[in-house]
Amino acid sequence: MSAHQTSTMEKEVATLEKGALCCSWNYCGQRLAVGFVDGSVSIHDNLDSASSCSSKWKAHASSINNIVWLPPEFGDAIACISADGSMSLWEEVEDDTQPLKWKMCKLFESSNVTVLDLQFGVYSTSLKMVVAYSDGHVKVYELLDPLELNKWQLQAEFQNVIDSVLRFGKPSCAKASIAWNPRRGESQQSSFVLGFNSDLPQFNSSKIWEFEEDHQRWLPVAELALPGDKGDRVHAVAWAPNIGRPYEVIAVATCKGIAIWHVGLNPESDGRLSTEKVALLSGHDGEVWQLEWDVSGLTLASTGADGMVRLWQSNVNGVWHEEAALECNGMQQ
Amino acid sequence: MARSGDLHFHRFPQSKSVDAVRWLSPLSAFDRFVAAAVHDTDAASSSLEIHSLTVDAADPNSPLFDLRSSWSSPSRISSLRSSQTPHKHLVAAASTLAGSLHLLFVDPVDGSIDSELSIADDRSLHAGPISAVDLQAGGQACVSVGEDGRVNLVTVGESRLDHQRVHDSRGLVSYMAARWASPAEFATGGLGFGVQWWDQRKPGGLVSQFKGNWARGSLTGIVHSIDIHPSRKHICVVGGSSGTVFAWDLRLQQQPILLSGVSLNETTQPISESDVWEVQYDSYTHSSNINSAPSTRILPIMMCSEDGILAVLEQGEEPIELLAENCAINAFDIDPQNPSDVICGLEWESIGILTRSRETMVRY
Amino acid sequence: MPGLASDPGDSLVPFLPDVRDPVVYPVRHGVNPPIFRVYVSWTRGNFLQVACLRPPAAEPAGGEEDGVSDEEIGGKVVEVKLGAGDEEISEAQRRRIAYGSVPAFALLQSRKNSLAAMSRMSASSIRTEWWEHVLEYSRHISDLLGNPMLPSSTVIEDPKMIMQPHEEPTTLKAAWQLMEIFYVDKLSSTWLPERLVDWLADYDSLLTETTIHSKVEGLQKRLSSLKVVVEDDPEYWEGMSGALAAGWLDAVVKLLRLHGSYQLEQLGSRETENGLVEAVAVLVSTMPRMRPHLPAGRLGQCYKTKPDFIKAWEKWRLHISRLDSSTFWVQCSHHQTREGLRNLLQIMLGNISNLRAATCHWMELFISHFLYIRPLTMGLDEFHSLAQKCMQLKSSSSSNGLMGLFIGILGENPEVVLAECSKTLGPWMVAHAMELLTVDNGHADILLHEERYSLGDISIEELHRLVYAQVLSSHPLTWQIAPTYLASCPKQGLGLLEILLYKQPVQHYQMILKNLEICRLYELENISSSIMKIAGTYHWKHGRKGSGVYWLQQARDEVRLNKIAQQLFECIGKSISDDSFKQWEGLIELLGSQVGTAGGLEFLHKYRDFKRSLQQVQDGSPVDAARQTMESLMQLMKNSSTPQRFWLPLLHDSVKLLNWKAQPLLTVSETNLLLNKLQELSMVKLHPDFCESNLPPQALSSVRLALATNLGRAVLEEC
Repeated sequence: MSAHQTSTMEKEVATLEKGALCCSWNYCGQRLAVGFVDGSVSIHDNLDSASSCSSKWKAHASSINNIVWLPPEFGDAIACISADGSMSLWEEVEDDTQPLKWKMCKLFESSNVTVLDLQFGVYSTSLKMVVAYSDGHVKVYELLDPLELNKWQLQAEFQNVIDSVLRFGKPSCAKASIAWNPRRGESQQSSFVLGFNSDLPQFNSSKIWEFEEDHQRWLPVAELALPGDKGDRVHAVAWAPNIGRPYEVIAVATCKGIAIWHVGLNPESDGRLSTEKVALLSGHDGEVWQLEWDVSGLTLASTGADGMVRLWQSNVNGVWHEEAALECNGMQQ
Repeated sequence: MARSGDLHFHRFPQSKSVDAVRWLSPLSAFDRFVAAAVHDTDAASSSLEIHSLTVDAADPNSPLFDLRSSWSSPSRISSLRSSQTPHKHLVAAASTLAGSLHLLFVDPVDGSIDSELSIADDRSLHAGPISAVDLQAGGQACVSVGEDGRVNLVTVGESRLDHQRVHDSRGLVSYMAARWASPAEFATGGLGFGVQWWDQRKPGGLVSQFKGNWARGSLTGIVHSIDIHPSRKHICVVGGSSGTVFAWDLRLQQQPILLSGVSLNETTQPISESDVWEVQYDSYTHSSNINSAPSTRILPIMMCSEDGILAVLEQGEEPIELLAENCAINAFDIDPQNPSDVICGLEWESIGILTRSRETMVRY
Repeated sequence: MPGLASDPGDSLVPFLPDVRDPVVYPVRHGVNPPIFRVYVSWTRGNFLQVACLRPPAAEPAGGEEDGVSDEEIGGKVVEVKLGAGDEEISEAQRRRIAYGSVPAFALLQSRKNSLAAMSRMSASSIRTEWWEHVLEYSRHISDLLGNPMLPSSTVIEDPKMIMQPHEEPTTLKAAWQLMEIFYVDKLSSTWLPERLVDWLADYDSLLTETTIHSKVEGLQKRLSSLKVVVEDDPEYWEGMSGALAAGWLDAVVKLLRLHGSYQLEQLGSRETENGLVEAVAVLVSTMPRMRPHLPAGRLGQCYKTKPDFIKAWEKWRLHISRLDSSTFWVQCSHHQTREGLRNLLQIMLGNISNLRAATCHWMELFISHFLYIRPLTMGLDEFHSLAQKCMQLKSSSSSNGLMGLFIGILGENPEVVLAECSKTLGPWMVAHAMELLTVDNGHADILLHEERYSLGDISIEELHRLVYAQVLSSHPLTWQIAPTYLASCPKQGLGLLEILLYKQPVQHYQMILKNLEICRLYELENISSSIMKIAGTYHWKHGRKGSGVYWLQQARDEVRLNKIAQQLFECIGKSISDDSFKQWEGLIELLGSQVGTAGGLEFLHKYRDFKRSLQQVQDGSPVDAARQTMESLMQLMKNSSTPQRFWLPLLHDSVKLLNWKAQPLLTVSETNLLLNKLQELSMVKLHPDFCESNLPPQALSSVRLALATNLGRAVLEEC
């Protein structure tokens, strides 16, 4: 019943240099940004003809742990998160005074806390950047000028906990996973889901944060964990594109497996969104590295420490199962 | 809508994207060659193919189309023109998305590619894609334009191509179309329905500019194609966005003659509302009142569009629809020697041959 | 247990066993293990890019260049195409089928919509009309899938050409034909068994490795290459019995006529034998067939009505029985001929053991039943139980997707039919065959059109169209036909189309225009403005400012255009003194061409005039230039298209002229107008949205003072 049934064809797209640590594709999949252990970044273009490495430069002094592309309305630009906790924004520009090059627009210096993850969301023409830090804090920035990527304003700062009145200790977070609600549109409220991998259970569970226009603040509107699982460390989250479902679908990977959640579109009387865990998928032995929904939100691809890419789908009765797996560990020529 | 006469249309599937098609003027009436710019997305390869076409007059429904030779292009071909050299060679000029320009000399007898002259990997020609190229009659010179805002003149030497920059607007203006009017003059077109007239003999080159703000509404668009009739050099016919086809008479500076388009008339439905990819004077369709035609009258024009229309337009007349395909017609070319025959490049990976029979092209 | 869902959920509808062990495919990426990280991204449609990275070296790669060895790569990225399907059909052919089926599908959908809108017509006449439309659709698609039969007139009659040369039959076409026979082609429902005989003649070779077809083909090769006495060859008789069992009467008669007893020199010695051969040939060629007509070259006698047929069939069988029990057989000395011919007679008499021996696959045995045992079989349940019986008799036959589909049809099980279509024939088949499945089948209609919560409130029909559209979007050439299928999805089609459009690359303007055309057709204004914004920003940042502004104007992106206006304003201010200003002219022309508020930047043109004459004043030109400048200033300030934020910089530029020594350059009324503007500005300054320009802080007050000075002098002048 699916577009992704059997896999027989593969084609080499790019060869990466030694020391590659992370990679990230742009919105249309034609450009690939690769971060290296020595702090450099390379861009591979896969255009009409064959793929080529169009540029490589040193972005940070220490290794690049993660790269995130900005939405295409804001140009060809990436954010790089370095192992030293700093992050930087780069964009590709060219004009008659200088040839095509990647230029740094903004450097967010590291302090005593480090950046773990960041993601961009577009809401009615404004660009928002949510950044998760190793101390369990979250900062939301807004871009002031859509053509200048150096003017950011801090809009909010909070912790990934449901009850903000209670005092918690200072967590030490190893990893954070953020996913914006991919739905675009003027009427849509900004929302994203965030989970941590930390030593303080209250910070870990994935929570959906929504921006409340009236009071200009971010509120947790749902928690994607059953009562017994709230302290589970979160490895990855992914918010499925919604092309017309009456509910949202979010995948959350913890040590127990990949949970598929249905989340209501509209808040109930208490202001919270209804949530239902519809499946728990186990397959990867060990940590899940990445979750990636396809364009229709019908198929979820996951990668994990077992070196497999697993493809998950629901059948017509709503039962989730593993449709196929790609083995990447093999010794092939 | 006016009706077309007896038409035969035959499609040849290519299994590759057909980006441009041109007739190569033949020496004999039996062997006709067609140059097609094709792109194979799966193999990520582009090439220029020379095909021979044989249409049997007795059985026009089953023409034969054979690949004679192929030249592999370093990048996808963006524009293609053909001409004949004084040495009886056929010549095709192709520009690419990578900014390279190639002249291929084709043997007029067997359709093989004898030699090639290129400018490649030279950012002093164009930075980025070349959007259009036009070859002078006789194949001695080319004009190339690009989105980078450059207008270049390329002269064909004995064993090399030389280029010289006529204008560089450094990306502030982009050009998408170019057409020679005479050995010294040519026209270009681009964004905002702008058309420019250039004369190599004048300093700076730019002689006249037609601003695209004639459309009273909010309509504006891109010029995709220009044609200039050898007998009426003062008139450019232009095809562009939103089904727009207009003529610009240099003598009537800023007043275009609209031949088709959504802004023409609110009550009548234009023949197409989508992009007009190519326009060409159609010497086959005889003007209904040819004898009384003053020099300001626009001769019949053929156009093809994104919504699959191939039609002939004439000033003040109902358009004649020749084809209404299910997919875009991205390019066409009227055989200069045999203007009843039209070759088309279709979006669904095929080349089409349209033959019009002589008797039946009348208006009803 | 790997890959199992832990929450099975209660299955309300008994559905196909969809939860099966996942198929594991090795990715041939060529990177030596160990793999340190795997990254994936869905790029286009059902393409998945997979990046496999090796562990980075312990020490940061900083300095010495090693020789390049295999270990020097950090990883590879491969693109995996999912749902590649079978290799029976090439990718180019698959695309050709995809293109060809679009018009038929679109036409059928529009007919469906217009029939749905016609409430006046009676239900039955609507049904008849609909059925005719579906039949036309089915025939069109069937033609598209290839013509297995070449026109017989082009083939020169060759006695040794037992079987007509065929185009290679495809499973796709075989399956389509089966569905057409059972679901759509009502006119032939009275002679369904004979339709299946015809079907088998075309597609027997697809059933399995060894079929009657493969045997006859082998025999034909032998006959053309060898000069043998055919009747001594057991394969001759075997092939003939197979051909007869499958109902290929013309082939049987041709083979019989190759019998040695026909040779001229044999006439004397083998008369009886020859007579028997010919008698069998006559019986074969006069077999009664329960069908209205036969294609040219096919043998048998057609009967349209059941009574006529039964009468003829019984008479024919009587002839066979008589021949079988005749005494001529004793005089036939050639053992193989005698046994072979009597075997043929037993086949025609419907002797089950002979039929079983003559056929290879259960499907062939099944078909032979219609010819020789139960020619009047009717009703799917009868077909189904007969098929079950034949499967038992030929239990060794392998099963494939085509057979699964057949059983699903006979079992009246649309779920199985869909599942088999999907599994063996792929998304194209499912998306297009659903129209056949539902044409006259209430159960399938409900199954396919019922909205399901677990699918996100869409029907199975819509799901399969979404899936097919996603496959189409994988290829840059077929992507453009995906919208046709998405438009036929009532709930989620346009949602998916928007996402697909958003993910298209914008480097080439032709591609942008093609995508914008799709937006125009389906009225997707929001996404078209997103595409234009993406294109605008891309070109603006990549040195093509004209294209950038053009697309942003098309998108009516006021926010970005205002920022650009600011940049240009500063640029023009700076570049006025040098020649580079000429460069901006074309862009300014372009900016001015847009009508309406968004991007109405033509004031920049006047600003240029203002700056130019200001320059002349500064160069020491006479009072004329000063007057000219003030005129330009007044025009700019009066023009509503001049954004308010530029007022102060304009006035500030003019302070020197406002304080012009020789004479006041502005009249009282002009000065008043400017003062009003200044007043407006200071009000705006209190507004939270106000953004400060790069002017010195005392700019406002110095302008205020200069205006006052000018006013005072103008008053005196005008008294």
